[in-house]
Amino acid sequence: MPFVPVLHAELFKIRTLRSLLGALCAVVLATALFSALAGLDSGTDEKDFDPLFASFFGVSFGQIAAVAFGATAVSSEFQGGGLRVTLAAVPRRGRWFAAMVVAVAVHVMGVGLIAGGVSLAVGRAALGADANSLSWAEGLRGVIGCGLYLTLMSLLAAGLTALLRSGVATLSVLVPFLLIVSFVVGGVSGTVADFLPDKAGQVVLHASWDGSLGPWTGLAVTALWAGGALLAGAWSVRQRDA
Amino acid sequence: MTSIDVRDLTKEYGTARAVDRLTFTVEPGRVTGFLGPNGAGKSTTMRLVLGLDRPTHGTATVGGRAYATLDEPLRRVGALLDAQAAHGSRTAYDHLRALAVSNRIPDRRVDEVLAETGLTSVARRRVKTYSLGMRQRLGIAAALLGDPEVVLLDEPSNGLDPEGIVWIRGLLRRLAGEGRTVLVSSHLMNETASFADHLVVLGRGRLLADTPMREFIDARVRPRVRVRISDGGPALRRVLAKHGYEAAAHADGHWTVEHARVDDIGRLVSAAGLTVLELAADEGTLEQAYLDLTASATEFTTTIAPQPQEA
Repeated sequence: MPFVPVLHAELFKIRTLRSLLGALCAVVLATALFSALAGLDSGTDEKDFDPLFASFFGVSFGQIAAVAFGATAVSSEFQGGGLRVTLAAVPRRGRWFAAMVVAVAVHVMGVGLIAGGVSLAVGRAALGADANSLSWAEGLRGVIGCGLYLTLMSLLAAGLTALLRSGVATLSVLVPFLLIVSFVVGGVSGTVADFLPDKAGQVVLHASWDGSLGPWTGLAVTALWAGGALLAGAWSVRQRDA
Repeated sequence: MTSIDVRDLTKEYGTARAVDRLTFTVEPGRVTGFLGPNGAGKSTTMRLVLGLDRPTHGTATVGGRAYATLDEPLRRVGALLDAQAAHGSRTAYDHLRALAVSNRIPDRRVDEVLAETGLTSVARRRVKTYSLGMRQRLGIAAALLGDPEVVLLDEPSNGLDPEGIVWIRGLLRRLAGEGRTVLVSSHLMNETASFADHLVVLGRGRLLADTPMREFIDARVRPRVRVRISDGGPALRRVLAKHGYEAAAHADGHWTVEHARVDDIGRLVSAAGLTVLELAADEGTLEQAYLDLTASATEFTTTIAPQPQEA
């Protein structure tokens, strides 16, 4: 069966669930709001001030919404035998899962770019003169990086949810991980912590970096994490009884 | 035409065998009732036919092909497995529309099946506000969406009000009359008797019967005649005994004659000059036949082990 109608159906399903639309709005709001607060609160007088990251500080919060979106989009299929209805309509499971992943990615990429743009604008405004050292190229890299990073994090959550068959399980793994583990080991660089999905991917949001990963190699590491989770999820969807 | 073919189908969950070497064919143009107690393997068999679960052994095909290899399967096969399957936060219209889009079914079919199942006025409400009966109708609407030649419904009358039960009976008869293949599972005997032409009966995952419904009943329930006369009980007993029938009296004044046909008893009673108030063939019911079958199937009388997921 052709892929495009299946993709259309998955895009339509996302647009018809309020909780998912809410999570998408939350990505923009959380990212922009916390970036503005961070911008007001920081400046060049800080020890390791990074004008780019100060503008994108809210991504740490926006990613929670992106992860929630990815997990909910997949878990909504697993509720009350919903997967059976879906797979009875699209029995090519790999194709269905691919359509689902693309639908999630398209939505998060869209709002991620908006969140990045808004963040950069409000961040710069809040930082005032402290942001003068930022070049347009760095700003653009931050916006695109923000979109890609949030997309990859939502796909990581989507893959894990398909593997665990539960949005709650996924969120109770990922949210504490993002909020606690990352903050605790966050200050330590030059270790394996650099290769955690969130730390690696957020390099793209910094004007300068000192670890082994650059902006794009960092995103590539996050992409490996997301890809691994998606492969595991696809395996689970294909192998297990619905 | 499209039939459902199940060949040597077996499904094991761990050590429990939910479906045990089943072989049967569901033919088009008639309603096949799929009977058995809870946990007999009816739902599992339906999931195996739809390619949702993988068989441990054997095959299930629709029109000669495995379900998973069908292109745009909703146009060939429609199924209701679980009334709770539609996401509660979506509207009925959106739920059906998403299914239609994936199989390139025109939007007008969404409106048609909503009208057919009586949901048009509530189609824009979210499914979580629906009663069980309305969800059941939505599940049936989804099954009919692609105008399929094959329809599988798992316990479709669950939660329906009396009006809905009459409606589903008519719907099933009509679908079969249009030449479609209709398989309907149930554990309610009288309900199944009201719409089925043919029966497939399961017990603990095994096939117990695969026969036309009338034959199933006639083979298992002895024919009886019910007689009520104004008076003269001893005379009735005498005249029947003379011809080898045994009449049993009942407290409310009627008699039953075992192994008898109305034609014969009517003539005898009339010839004896008795005044007949009532004379009727006591047709066996599906329930009687079913209980007779399950009593004779030995594995049934042993304790029934808990079976996995009759979902």
